[in-house]
Amino acid sequence: MAIDTRGETADKPGRPSGEKKRTSPALFYRQVVAELRKVIWPTRKNLINYTIVVLVFVLIMVAIVSGLDALLTEGVLAVFGGS
Amino acid sequence: MLTAITRAFRTPDLRNKLLFTLGIIALFRLGSVLPTPGVHTDNVRRCLAEATQGEAGNIYGMVQLFSGGALLKLSVFALGIMPYITASIILQLLTVVIPRLEALKKEGQSGTAKITQYTRYLTIGLAVLQSTAFVALARTGQLFQNCREPLLINQDPITIITMVIVMTAGTSVVMWLGELITDRGIGNGMSILIFTQVVAVFPAELMNIFRASAWTFTAVMVVGVFMIAAVVFVEQAQRRIPVQYAKRMVGRRMYGGTSTYIPLKVNQAGIIPVIFASSLLYLPQLVTTLFASSENPNAVVQWISQNLVTGDTPAYMITFFLLIVFFTYFYVSITFNPVEVADNMKKYGGFIPGIRPGRPTAEYLNYVLTRLTAPGALYLGLISMVPIVALAVAGASQNFPFGGTSILIMVGVGLDTVKQIESQLQQRNYEGFLK
Repeated sequence: MAIDTRGETADKPGRPSGEKKRTSPALFYRQVVAELRKVIWPTRKNLINYTIVVLVFVLIMVAIVSGLDALLTEGVLAVFGGS
Repeated sequence: MLTAITRAFRTPDLRNKLLFTLGIIALFRLGSVLPTPGVHTDNVRRCLAEATQGEAGNIYGMVQLFSGGALLKLSVFALGIMPYITASIILQLLTVVIPRLEALKKEGQSGTAKITQYTRYLTIGLAVLQSTAFVALARTGQLFQNCREPLLINQDPITIITMVIVMTAGTSVVMWLGELITDRGIGNGMSILIFTQVVAVFPAELMNIFRASAWTFTAVMVVGVFMIAAVVFVEQAQRRIPVQYAKRMVGRRMYGGTSTYIPLKVNQAGIIPVIFASSLLYLPQLVTTLFASSENPNAVVQWISQNLVTGDTPAYMITFFLLIVFFTYFYVSITFNPVEVADNMKKYGGFIPGIRPGRPTAEYLNYVLTRLTAPGALYLGLISMVPIVALAVAGASQNFPFGGTSILIMVGVGLDTVKQIESQLQQRNYEGFLK
């Protein structure tokens, strides 16, 4: 999964050499945007796939947990209730 | 998809882990419905039905979420995983402040074990406090404001003390269960258990919305799916920092010369900041339930109970947002140490093209990380805000008091867990869920 990003790192941030300067909010914002441009976002196919997987996982867990809860609540009521 | 699940269950090692985790979850749920000795089960059940159905139901939303519905049942695991989470936040915050703890952390494994031990002690302390508070509330009948039936069978000191002891013991069992999942199951125990708690109250919440109006229900479902997609989108986004390894000869062999990357997620902190922020905001509620019982509460308590208890006041939203942003930066700085990464890279002859190894590399990593975490923190804060704001505008916030937080927890833990199962499958050359 090696990617050659020589071009991207070429424009490395203009860090002041030696003394540190405070970055102004505007500069910080521009730097944030610059970094965000270099982010690899998931592709549409990837996104849909993951979303479906997460949905299915959550649904399965909801089914398991609510099934368990219903069963256990009945059980507890049978044992401890009606006193 | 389905074949992947059957394959996961056909791998003996993975099957054991999955079944183990499910078994622990089952035990956790059992403890959450099992009543504490001395509780009048029928009365509690009646009061609970009354409280969650009626207009007052919304006040209990947050309480329900953070105990998985166990607290109002006064069960053995009434306090859930919350004391453990609170304790670990406090210790992580203290590690920055107290030099002794910091030294322990730097010591490596034995030091970390010591810190874990402290976390456990603190958990027990918090559990004693909280369980005493709740048993006291149950005794005076203030746990359910509109319900006047006695919740306890008798009120002698022995019963009360037994209840406190049982709830504290329950909390330590929950803590143990969580650690068992981390050790021998799938995923991080703490996250899995809080996920279970969220999932346990979710269907009831949805039913409430459905009963209120079918339209809102459909809207909530659609928005929910979009939010899940949005969360997945950001969680998957990576900034890949290229790393080149130098070729070197060791004996007669040639090593290295490969190029890889350091994956930095936009949201490097995951969902932990949200859990931390919401469990900290859960504290004011606890405090006010304790002090609201006095005849004339002072101004501070009154202000807190008006502004920080329900999720639809501006003060609450702003505090929540700020806490999330703070914890995102805090957690990233704890979990990712640029100096350490840079040192490791230097040790193995790696470098980022265009940047010198050692300190400049650490500085560069730090630069990228702080820039990336800004949108990450904003995203976490906004996602947790969106449902509260949207529903407050629509005037329906009462029905869905914790939308964003629970969606973040569900999707975050879901993604993590599925990915772990996936990587375990791939170790055995199986194609997983996520082709």
